[in-house]
Amino acid sequence: MRDQIKQQIERIKGMGATYVDCRWYPFEETNSLLMWNGNLKDASASRESGLGIRVLYKGAWGFAASSDMSDIAAVFDKAFDNARSAAERVTFPVRLAEKDAIQAVFTSPCKVNPFEVPLADKVAFLKAMDEKLNQKGVEQRTADLTFMRKQIVFLDSEGSEIEKLITEVFGGLRVSGRDEQGMSHERKFRLNQRGNSRGWESIDAGFFSQNAERIVKEMNETRAAEPCPKEDRSVILLPGIMYLQTHETIGHALELDRILGYELAFAGGSFVTLKDFGTLRYGSEKLTARADATLTNSPGSFGYDDDGVPAQDNLLIDKGILVGAITGRQMVEEANAKARKQIFDGSSGANRATTFYRVPIERMTNINIDPGTDGTLEDIVRNTERGIVMDGDKSWSIGSNREQFHFATEVAWLVEDGRMTKMVKNPTYKGDTVKFWNSLSAVGDRSTWEVRYVDNCGKGQPNQIMQLGHGIPVCRFDNVRIGE
Amino acid sequence: MKDRILQTLANLRKYALEKGYVISLLYHEEDSALMRFANSAISLNTSEHLVRLSITAYSGRKQASYDLITDLAKLDEMKKGIDTVAEMVEHAMPLTYDPTIPAYAETFVDESNFDAGLTGMSNEEKLAFYNKSVEGLETEDLKLSGIFNCGVNTIAAIATPSEHTLYFTTTDAQITTVLAHATEKWEISSGGSAQRKTDLDPAPIHQDLSFLLERFQTEPRQQLPTGTYDIVFGATAIGQMVGFMNWIGISGGMWKRGFSFMSEEKVGQKVFSDKFTLVDDPTRRETFPFQRDLMGMVRKPFPLFTQGVFEGFTWTQDDADEFDAKPTGHTVLHRSLVLDGGNRDVASLQDLVGMPRENDLLYIPYLHYMNIVNPSKGVITASSRFGALLLKQNGSVVVPFNVRITQSLLDIFGDKVAWMSKQTVPHNSSASYGARNPTAVIVPAFMRVNGLEISHSNPSF
Repeated sequence: MRDQIKQQIERIKGMGATYVDCRWYPFEETNSLLMWNGNLKDASASRESGLGIRVLYKGAWGFAASSDMSDIAAVFDKAFDNARSAAERVTFPVRLAEKDAIQAVFTSPCKVNPFEVPLADKVAFLKAMDEKLNQKGVEQRTADLTFMRKQIVFLDSEGSEIEKLITEVFGGLRVSGRDEQGMSHERKFRLNQRGNSRGWESIDAGFFSQNAERIVKEMNETRAAEPCPKEDRSVILLPGIMYLQTHETIGHALELDRILGYELAFAGGSFVTLKDFGTLRYGSEKLTARADATLTNSPGSFGYDDDGVPAQDNLLIDKGILVGAITGRQMVEEANAKARKQIFDGSSGANRATTFYRVPIERMTNINIDPGTDGTLEDIVRNTERGIVMDGDKSWSIGSNREQFHFATEVAWLVEDGRMTKMVKNPTYKGDTVKFWNSLSAVGDRSTWEVRYVDNCGKGQPNQIMQLGHGIPVCRFDNVRIGE
Repeated sequence: MKDRILQTLANLRKYALEKGYVISLLYHEEDSALMRFANSAISLNTSEHLVRLSITAYSGRKQASYDLITDLAKLDEMKKGIDTVAEMVEHAMPLTYDPTIPAYAETFVDESNFDAGLTGMSNEEKLAFYNKSVEGLETEDLKLSGIFNCGVNTIAAIATPSEHTLYFTTTDAQITTVLAHATEKWEISSGGSAQRKTDLDPAPIHQDLSFLLERFQTEPRQQLPTGTYDIVFGATAIGQMVGFMNWIGISGGMWKRGFSFMSEEKVGQKVFSDKFTLVDDPTRRETFPFQRDLMGMVRKPFPLFTQGVFEGFTWTQDDADEFDAKPTGHTVLHRSLVLDGGNRDVASLQDLVGMPRENDLLYIPYLHYMNIVNPSKGVITASSRFGALLLKQNGSVVVPFNVRITQSLLDIFGDKVAWMSKQTVPHNSSASYGARNPTAVIVPAFMRVNGLEISHSNPSF
């Protein structure tokens, strides 16, 4: 197959294409299980294979994909035809940043292939977790596991040949129950980075059980809590919501395709402009953020992106100042040309597609915030006069240029004079992105830092779901409106 | 192609019966094409041809499923998939209820929603349509974005209890046009939905964009004070909110799982404005409807709310099995929701702006990134986008920066509704996550709701 693909790449090059690549998926398999109130509502698996072709012709992209491998020349021809049509309307001819031709293999860390674990073992695990969650006050309970494994062969007209084998494991628990007024409250646990690999070995029944007890307890306490007050307070975000704050208001805001207006038909733009790089005070001096695709054991670490560029660790925000973006080969060239200066020194290796039948676009890798020097969670609480500790994503909504946001969390505890006092229910907070990050007044140390996985980041048209990670500490922000 | 698909399903059923398996098969084939525009260029031009087969196996109270992306020539691969799921189901855990296995009483074929004209459109024709939609409107600062997304969707089903089959094929197109100012960061938008080629008309899109463009280029801009406003929602915003209603308001399964603001006690009660009548109407071709559900049930117009009175929940077969309810023909990939029009003759944005008004009105055409803050109360939050206007009582127009509303659907569709347009339009709500599933809701062109609160207001675009 590789030889056939190489021949087709050469053929299309010979027809005038300036660049051609192919992502061939010999297989992509998934296995999902969901137990809901004791019922195995989902026991499903899938297997796919196919190839996706990108062709660049006269500065325009064409893409075609098919699961039918019997006539791959036709798929290449379709991609070329699409590029030729697209070339009828070009305003800024696509150029690709330089890269090395790479021959490489990448395998994500996995000790026990989850697809070799018997289904009965997986069901038994979920049944055990379901029993743990089946406690007083719990009306709805779910336990879920999702496994993904895919082989990707990337070949391009510049001589790259990269093979990747990526295994993903996601899992979690969720409970909900109603309070005396009939309002529903929920609490979740999601499996995140545990050790240096993410095969079946990361499904640790003891760890899940501990968290099952914790979320049941916290959900029941929330049911009995008073409503969240509507006022301004210092907000202390634990990793279970800090990851999403980072994701939505740093990650998406710094995708270079959004900044350049390539997502305005759907996902939106960004308040960031090309002039802001090197000058915009995005946050307080306590904020240093990076896109680190080299982090061990995370869905945001993938070896090489779908442009064939090696994974990298790049600063995005350095002590509060905006310095970088999430980029691929096309966008950095366009940004530098439009800015009339060299903002970006090559691709940051973040162009990814969710599967063979989708085109690569700028996607987050691991968008992390460096640990700070403000101690443990206990230290931060102790140094907070009037605050609220929040955790667990419940609802999130962000302005179309990522300029403002509204989040609801699952749980929250008020802080008075350096002590966590009582829980409140239906907690929310909102803010303006730059003002909010500039109110960052405390960043927890390494003991508070966790890598959280995201398995459902949506973007692009046709729509794509991507997996990635966030390494984040506990953070405190001042004068934030809560309770709306 | 239809005969080949149905014959393949029949062959697979025969194979399963010979092996003693109990299965159902759902075939999905899409031919999708998406021309995407950004920065006034075609940023992407894609074609995908994908065949999916979803196999569900049953063994007493146990069930499991297996999905393949495959093609019709790979019969052996599909048979292997059947063997795989048959093995899986033996290791599954019994449900606490008896799952109903599809047993089609008759074969049903619906090709009435297929239009050869739409599926035959070339890249050149699509580009010409798009160029016409924005003719003369683009400038150095005003950049075009959008999509022309169209395709053919074929769905077929069979199950071992019966030799009968279901077969549906549909064509669809979804058009979005956005003009965005490169430096000032404001955006205006229009679009369309088509089931046939003759539904496509660039003129209204051009008219909408031209009108909005003039407002955005000439009228003063303003950060609105937070507080209470009388709001006129455009069709897209109404369609988005009806979509959330579909999610957390009318599904019996969601109610039973504690994720709804409706309840059984509200059946027969007036919940919304008497101007609010919502029907699931599979006779409306603009919604890309299913006239049978995937259990083979005949689907007819199903009233959900009549003049604000809640008529009852919808039940999928699986939810009905689990919660001992009666299925309502809603085991479908999407519903065909129709919100009846009202009595106000307001067909276009020009009509709305030209209307005499007794006080200021905030026009919100689109709600960005809507999410559910509190499902028990039906509270949603979202920001305005794509061309909001403040229509002043004195007839002047102000362009506001985007605002956020955080409100309950019970308030938005409740007694605060002042009027709805007589004219209704299809709002194409198709997403392109996963398998193609063209979806549209029919809603009034405009709906005025008095006294809604703006909780956040941007200081700039």
